[in-house]
Order: sequence, then C-alpha cells, then structure tokens
Amino acid sequence: MAAAASARCLGVRCRLPLPLTSRRASPLGRARSCRFYSGSATLPKGEGADVTGIEVVIPKRKTWDKVAVLQALASTVNRDTTAAPYAFQDDPYLIPTSSVESRSFLLAKKSGENAAKFIINLHPKYFQKDIAEPHIPCLMPECFEPQIEDISEAALQERIKLKKVKASVDMFDQLLQAGTTVSLETTNSLLDLLCYYGDQEPPADYHFQQSEKSEELEEASEENTEKPKKKAGQQLGATWRAKNNAERIFALMPEKNAHSYYTMIRGMVKHRAPVQALNLYTELLNNRLHADVYTFNSLIEATAMMNEKYEEKWNNMLELLKQMAMQKVKPNLQTFNTILKCLRRFYAFGKLPALQTLREMKALGIEPSLATYHYIIQLFYQHESPSKGSSLVIYDIMNELMGKKFSPQDPDDDMFFQSAMRVCSSLKDLELAYQVHGLLNTGDNWKFIGPSHRRNFYYSKFFSLLCLMEQIDITLKWYKDLIPSVFFPHSQALIDLLRALDVANRLEVIPQIWKDSKEYGHTFRSNLKEEILMLMARDQHPPELQVAFADCAADIKSTYESQDARQTAPDWPAGSLNCIAVLFLRAGRAQEAWKMLGLFKKHNKIPRNELLNEFMDNAKASNSPAQAIEIVRLASAFSLPVCEGLAQRVMTDFAISQEQKEALGHLTASASDSDSDSSSDSDGDINEGK
Amino acid sequence: MRGVRLRDLGEAEARQVGARAGTEQALEPQGACRPTAAASQPLPHQEQRLRFSVGKLCGSRVSEPVHWYFKKAPPWCSPGLGPWVLCWSHVLPCAWRALHISAMCAKNRVARVRVGKGDKPVIYEEAHVPHHIAHPKSWLSLHTGNLDGQDHAAERTVEDVLLRKFVLGTFPGCLADQLVLQRRASQVEVCALVLRQLPAHKLYFLVGYSEALLSHFHKCPVRVHLQTVPSKAVCKHI
Repeated sequence: MAAAASARCLGVRCRLPLPLTSRRASPLGRARSCRFYSGSATLPKGEGADVTGIEVVIPKRKTWDKVAVLQALASTVNRDTTAAPYAFQDDPYLIPTSSVESRSFLLAKKSGENAAKFIINLHPKYFQKDIAEPHIPCLMPECFEPQIEDISEAALQERIKLKKVKASVDMFDQLLQAGTTVSLETTNSLLDLLCYYGDQEPPADYHFQQSEKSEELEEASEENTEKPKKKAGQQLGATWRAKNNAERIFALMPEKNAHSYYTMIRGMVKHRAPVQALNLYTELLNNRLHADVYTFNSLIEATAMMNEKYEEKWNNMLELLKQMAMQKVKPNLQTFNTILKCLRRFYAFGKLPALQTLREMKALGIEPSLATYHYIIQLFYQHESPSKGSSLVIYDIMNELMGKKFSPQDPDDDMFFQSAMRVCSSLKDLELAYQVHGLLNTGDNWKFIGPSHRRNFYYSKFFSLLCLMEQIDITLKWYKDLIPSVFFPHSQALIDLLRALDVANRLEVIPQIWKDSKEYGHTFRSNLKEEILMLMARDQHPPELQVAFADCAADIKSTYESQDARQTAPDWPAGSLNCIAVLFLRAGRAQEAWKMLGLFKKHNKIPRNELLNEFMDNAKASNSPAQAIEIVRLASAFSLPVCEGLAQRVMTDFAISQEQKEALGHLTASASDSDSDSSSDSDGDINEGK
Repeated sequence: MRGVRLRDLGEAEARQVGARAGTEQALEPQGACRPTAAASQPLPHQEQRLRFSVGKLCGSRVSEPVHWYFKKAPPWCSPGLGPWVLCWSHVLPCAWRALHISAMCAKNRVARVRVGKGDKPVIYEEAHVPHHIAHPKSWLSLHTGNLDGQDHAAERTVEDVLLRKFVLGTFPGCLADQLVLQRRASQVEVCALVLRQLPAHKLYFLVGYSEALLSHFHKCPVRVHLQTVPSKAVCKHI
C-alpha cells in the first residue's frame, strides 16, 4: 500500500514536467501521460459510474526555438557580480581597472581583428579552402576590387555594389560616351550610391585598400586645397555641393521615375540642402508623381532646417502632413519621430505640438518607440534645474512603459535611458529611478543602454541618487552589485558614497572603500583622499576602529610619498597632513605622529590649533615635558598665536626645570613679539590665542 | 650490467666460452646470448634472432655499434671450437672487419630535455617524459579523433601543428608553456600561458588578431584564452 502510494507519487513527480530542463523529456512525459490516461480514454462510454468523464485534450505540438535549451539554461544564471565583463580575458593582469582601460582593451582587440582582416584580404588565395559544412560566408576573404574590366553595364553595377563612388561615376560617363544607354534601375542605383555618400568616397577606414588608393589620388591631383575642407566636411557630414555628380546625372537622365526623385530629395536633405530638396519636391508634384513615406520624412526634416520662425516651420510641417494625407501615404514611426526630433529644437514652443503628435500617433495605432519618449523627455526637461516647476510627464511616460519590451526601431532608441536617468537625478526621485532601472532589466531592454560612455553616465547618476536617497545598507548592496562589474565609479561617486556613510554613521566601512578605490585607479586622486582623511579624523572612535583608521592613513601617506618621488615639488595638502597626524596620535602610534610634525615644516604647511592641543594632551599623557617644550618650539617657529596658550599650559601642567622655564620664556617672548607686531593687523588672532 | 663485452675477457676465457658454447652454463650473465643447446648448425633465422636480441640488451648507448653475433667459424680455425665463434676474439689469427648490417638501436630522444649539470631549469611539462602521459602528465591536445570509430585524427594533428607554430610566432617570447588545444563542438579553444612581458593592450591586440586570422583559416570559431604568469614555473633543475 505504501509502496503503491510511493510509486504513484514517484510517477506523479516524474510526470510533472519540470519547467526548464525537461525539453527532451516532454515528449516522453506526454507519452507517459497519454499512457496514464489511455486507460480511461479507451474505456467505453457506457461505464459511467467509475469514469469521472475525463475529457482528453491532446495539446498541439509545441515548436521550440533552436536555442530554447540555451535560453532556458541562461535564465537560471544571474550576472556574476564579481566577474569582469566576458569580453575581457579572465586574468588579473588583463582585467581593466578603469573605464579608460576597458575602452582601450576593447579597441585594441578590435584593431587586432581589423589587422587580421587586412592580411586576409591582402592574400585571399590562402584562405579560399572551404572546409566548413555548411558554408560560412563571414569567414571567407572579401574582394574589394572590381573584377569586370570592360565598359559595360555589368561593370557599372559591380562598382556600385562595391561602393566605389568615383569609379562608378567614371564608368557611367564612359558608357554614355560610348553611346550605350544605361537602364533605369542601374541609373537609380547609381543615384542611390551618390546621394547616400554625398558624392564622396565612403569613409576611409571602411576598406583598407581603398584608403591607400584615395590617399594616392589626393596626392596626385591638385586637391590639396580641398583636403582640409573634405576632412571638415567628413566630420560634420558632407555638404551637398551644387552641380555635383548626382545633379548632373539626374539632369542627364532621359526618363526619370519616382524613385529617382526620392533618392535625390533624400540625399539633398541628408547633406543639408533643404531648399533644393523642396524645389525638387514641387517638380515631383508637377510631374504628377506621388512621394512615398520616406521622402515625406526627409521633407519634414527639410522644413525644419529652413531659416524661419518656429510657427512658420510648424505650419509648413502641418502642410506637408496634409499633403501626405491627400496623397494617401500612410505615416510610419519614422514620420512621427522626425517631427518630434525637429520639435526638440523649438524649445518651449514645441511642447504642445509634441503632445499633439503623440496623440496622433496613438490614434493611428503606431506604437511609439523608446526614441519617441526620449525626444519628449528632452523637450520637456531641457534645462537641468526646474525653473518654473518641472512637468510631470516623466511619470506618465514611466507608467505607460512599465513592463514593456522593446525592439530596436530607431537609431536614437539607446538615448532613452540616459535622458530618463538624468531627469530622475535632477528631480531627486528614487522611486522613479527604480522604475527606470526595472524597465532596463525587463526582457531584452538591456540592449538599449548604449555605448560605454552612456552606460557609465546612466549608472553614475543612478548610484549618486542611491547614495543620496537610499538607506545605507541597500546602498552598500548596490555598491557591491554594480561596482566594478558594471561600471567604474568616478571619484565624485565615491565621495558621494562617503558622505552617505557619514550621514548614516557607518564610518567603519571607510578603509574598505579606500582599498577598493585604489583598485579603480583613484590612488592619486587628492580630493578623494582628503575626504577620506577628513571623515576619519573628525571624531574620536573606539580603539579597534582607530587602529584600522591609522592603518588606512598610513597607506594614504605612502601614496603621497610615492607621488612625491615622481614629482619634483612635494605638495601635500595641509588638511591631509593634519588628519594623518591626528589619526596616528589617536591610534597610539606616537613615533610616526611626531615624524608627521616634522613634515609640516618641510612642506610649508601650518598645523592646526586642535592638532597642537592634541599633541599637548598626548605629551601630558606620556608625561614628558621635553615633548611639550618641543611643541611650543614648533608653534613659535610657525609664529602661531596659540603659542602663548600652549606655553602657559606647559608651565601649569608639567613639572619643568628652571632652564626649561627660561627657554619657554624666550620662546613666548619671541612669539609675543611677532604677535605684537602683527597685533595691529589682526586683533582677533591675539584674542583667539589667549 | 648485462652484456659484458666478451672482448674484455681474456683469451683463455674466451676460448673457454667458445668451448662451452654447446653447454648451457656458459655465458651466464648474458642470458639471451646463450645459444640453444641443440644448435649445431645455426639456422639463419636463429642467427638473426640472436643478433637482434643481443643488441637490445645493451641498455646504455655505447660508443660504437657493438653487434654481438656468432658466426660460423672458418674451417681452418681450431676444430675444438664449436660452430659459434666470437667476432673480435683474439683467438682468431685474422683480423676481421665485420660488416654491420643490423639496425642501430639508438636511445629515445622524444620530448626529453637532456640531463645537464643541474643548472638547467625545466618546467613540469618538460620535466616529464612522454611515457608519463596519462599519469603525471596529461594531453596537450584534446579532441575526439582518436576515439573508436572517429575520423580525421590526422587533420586535427596537422591543424594543431599550425596552431602551435602560429601562436608561438605571434606571441614572441611570451609563452611560458606549451599550448593546450581543446576542440569543443566545432570550435577550437587555444589556452595559452603567457608571461607578462607585453602591456595588456598589446596582448589584447594579439588575441584579436590571432582569433580572427585562425578563424578565417580554419573556417571555424577559434578562441584564445590567456592566463598570465610572472615567470615560467620551474619544476626542477636538471
């Protein structure tokens, strides 16, 4: 009975499909379950008493993705917070310790790959043997030189495919001179190439051979004057020269179809020639042709580029949209994104139209992408400080976006999280920041965090907000989670963390923070070190903590010393000297503390009054009048007004001999002389001294 | 030591040895040298066998090829001797230059660092000889080509040679040990132990370069994993 029960429950347990790992077992499970139920299924319907009427529903066969097992396994593993990103080699020497290093390592690896590709494409005959089954095209050498040498349309098409702008234009001219007519599609593809690259060669680092050839051409021809302009043009994006090859070829075309007009308009807008684009659009309309949605998107951009007032521009855009509706062209996501991008530059004027655009988008049923929300955030939160009371649109946005998964639809999609976190940080709203971070971790949205500098910005702002607003335990948990596996903290972020620790009275974590900062490349960051020392030296603490603080201070001191060794002029901040001396004194390391006093003179820094008083206390505790007199001598050497008070204290508290009293008298006399000299200048000092 | 040279024995003993050729007590130290008792006429294959077996007994390398075999003595030799006679025996009046037509039995030099005066540092890999593979040592190249029913072991070996030479040249003077090559589901993983001679970004450049070039050459993903050590791990000095 028990055996049967256990067998049954074993059977049940085996039958229960484990959600993640039983992909292979599922057909078996189903078979078993079928078998389990098959008894009742085959029972004749007549026996109604025992059969409880189990309805057998055989489910549809599931189709799994090819990588379903891997995805399921991956979902069981969380990010390892102690490991460097997987792109780096897992070795202490090769793991980057700062964001600069991580960027340089990844760039070095990429440049190695480019060097390998250069070699492979230089000697393709050694890499032709194909042993991969099935064929892997990306592992074969690429051919960048056109193979067809004769003058024909096929040669022209090949050159267009290889993106050789000048060669294809030459080939086209040769074809025209030879009298052969070039077909409309080929001419259109030539126009596409010219308009996309603005009648210039593609960027030089695209193909290595091409860069060599273009350099030769530049040296050979008299384009020396054009070189700096070309370089400047390439930085901003090439400008559309009047009467360039694209326009010439366009004029030469015997027949033009709509596609030719589209490419020309879009090329002109891309290379900042809005007037010509709009003129061409009117020509297009005169030829009784209709524009397509991409052309309309470019035209909207063109109207925004014109030199007019905001209202006029907006009215022109509305005109265009009306024409679009008349020509029965359906707008797409890019249309609205372009409108919002242009409205961004209208500052306050653009807020109302932006909301109207958003409503229109929803009415048409087009799902906004992250770029849309990014533009809206930029429009509404343009200035850092909320001057007239900030709007609450970000809350509406986040409410709407919660739980949504996005796919890449617009090139500006990866700017959303950065701007959202910036707004959260300026509004000082932690809940909102958690919402934004939750959205980032939903599904595949982590892909929208963008390049490394954007990621660093996002996480720095997030972490600063956490330090400011969150409880210290949770902040420290986030610290362990994010740093250094996700981003390397700026020194300001660490200072924020230290201030948070100060507020929460958790100063015992400071030595650990210092140890970590050394690993992140902040060893020689003086503002961080001063902050640490100041926090440690401010109050008295229990003895063990004091010892830990003294060790930390010794470590910081050694970093200062190594910095001195490299520089010619020693430069220790006064605050650091004071703090280090105090910390040594409190931890009972009197020898080193006295050495620190000696360093004051060397670095030309003045010790503080509290420091000297502490030294006096220490001297009293160790009952050595010689030390006390030494302190007074030091104070007089610096001509400190507190010297008088110290001397009196020495005389009252300590048992000193007569000659020492005389020496003290001399010291105070000299000090008071200098005091009386300066008394006319500063009365307050004397009062303070006494 | 086995294989005492009979040449070192004196004349008389050699003669004795020759006389006792038929009996089994002679040539005790050289077990395999002992001819069979019933051998009157040496059969060619027996002669052959004896020839080679004697050669194998010489464990250490001797300065000249010593081919111990017994030949039928010329008839004009003293008839007291049996059919077997030593070559270099001083008994013979003539000085034979014997023709050495058996194979050399050279010492094994594979993957062995020759013993020196005790000042040569060797790493663990070099300190152990190939017959230690599968107990103190493991394989440097792991693939399934040598399993039962699997093919293309030779192609894997040729690929390994190319990989090792390529990485040795690409990381000049940086490798601290032989590469470990692993093949896992049509990918090749090259695990290298490198010294910290080059700065880290240069190592990343070389890693990116090797991965791309080797992947394009072998038409399969090749990954390079580095582990850096401060210096070669010397196991002992020989």
